[in-house]
Amino acid sequence: MIRRLQATGLAVVMSVFLAACGGSEQSTSTNETAGTPEVSSIKVGMSGGYYPFTFVEKDQLQGFDVDVWNELSNRLDRPVEFVTAPFSSLFGMLDSERIDTISNQITITEERKKKYNFSDVYVFDGAQITVNANINDINSLEDLKGRTVAVNLGSNFEELLRDFDTNNEITIKTYSAGGIEQEVALGRVDAFIMDRLSAAELIKKSGLPLKQTGEPFEVIENAMPYLRTESSEELRLQVNQALKAMREDGTLAEISQKWFGTDVTSKG
Amino acid sequence: MTELDLSFATDLLLQLVGVLPVTLGMSFLAMALALVLAIFFAIVQIFRIPGLNGFTQLYISFFRGTPLLVQLFLFYYGLPQMFPSMTAISAFQATILGLGLHFAAYMAELIRGAILGVDRSQMEAALSVGMDRLTAMRRIILPQAARIAVPGLMNSFIDLLKSTSLAFTLGVAEIMAKTQLEAASSFRFLESYLVLALVYWVVIMIMTWGQKYTERRLEEAY
Repeated sequence: MIRRLQATGLAVVMSVFLAACGGSEQSTSTNETAGTPEVSSIKVGMSGGYYPFTFVEKDQLQGFDVDVWNELSNRLDRPVEFVTAPFSSLFGMLDSERIDTISNQITITEERKKKYNFSDVYVFDGAQITVNANINDINSLEDLKGRTVAVNLGSNFEELLRDFDTNNEITIKTYSAGGIEQEVALGRVDAFIMDRLSAAELIKKSGLPLKQTGEPFEVIENAMPYLRTESSEELRLQVNQALKAMREDGTLAEISQKWFGTDVTSKG
Repeated sequence: MTELDLSFATDLLLQLVGVLPVTLGMSFLAMALALVLAIFFAIVQIFRIPGLNGFTQLYISFFRGTPLLVQLFLFYYGLPQMFPSMTAISAFQATILGLGLHFAAYMAELIRGAILGVDRSQMEAALSVGMDRLTAMRRIILPQAARIAVPGLMNSFIDLLKSTSLAFTLGVAEIMAKTQLEAASSFRFLESYLVLALVYWVVIMIMTWGQKYTERRLEEAY
């Protein structure tokens, strides 16, 4: 009996370690490139919850950023592996080198530039206030004073709002797992701040009683951040080159047309 | 109000059943790790093994005294900044380690309680027939303590299984992750989380049947 217990115990411990050692890769989607096992894949982190840039529908990761990376992968001749995690976890993954870059419409900010090197800008956008369709007295940042405003945790919109709100007159609520559009639709918060493009697509797709209000109040430039290491820098330069080629031959604009019906990848 | 979208719910259910092995795999491996550690820590405390006893106290104090999510973030994002080699641990492995270490602390106390619940006379009787303390522990005390510990351990296991839902914050594609992503793109929050709740519930119901069976087996000698 005891021998058996000991043997089982040992087997359990062994299996834990064996399983842990051979643990399966937890990627959501991998671009198939058969026959080149020695080429390591580029690990790209994204939230998978930022329509229409990166989202999951019927177990299929898709969107603007996914298309851009599949194209980059073709041009760099390296497979891409998408890693999905909540937005607030992505920078932690980048810092601990579990992913090579983040492709989730990361806006270039002074704060982030101190720590990361960015690829060339691939999307130009604006910060946008969105409110419940039956609210008519919010038309600018100024009108948000005394209100409750939702932003995604770790997003630059939180920073933007705090910079504006020097007297702490706006109640800012941060969300880490999405759902801010639902909060505004349900009337739990008065408005949310997001980039103009995805807010517009979100309103269209969700059918929720929401509307954009006022002009976009800040031009935002989105790019992909890389760590300041030798291999990351090399990858960044390669990506820049491929992005430039995609811009020149119209592929980038084409992907943009597919998701937005307009070219969001150039300034004008 | 919109109506429930049954075909969306069915699609999601099938998808969740497909990734259920990830959730179950993390749960069972973490539980095995936790059980082994917990028995070890319980015995260290019972025998007050010098050196190890102090460490065990500190261990239990830390892992019970801080939230699981904090520990997971610490392992997965924090420590690799100091020890770069730790990035070799995948999110799946980190979750198993985190859950195992965390629940070992609770279960060590539970098992210690169960061992203390076995009447002292059992140990005295075992010693009187010439067994040493460790043998008596293995052959006489632990089998009896197991019977006392099962309901509590099952509680821990249920808690552990549900705690795997935190793994998405590390990027593990388990059932919580799938549901959140599908809910975010479809705006079908009610269907999504209802289906997810149902999956957890059914899995735990099946586990509970297993517990009843184990308890009956352990009860046979009484």
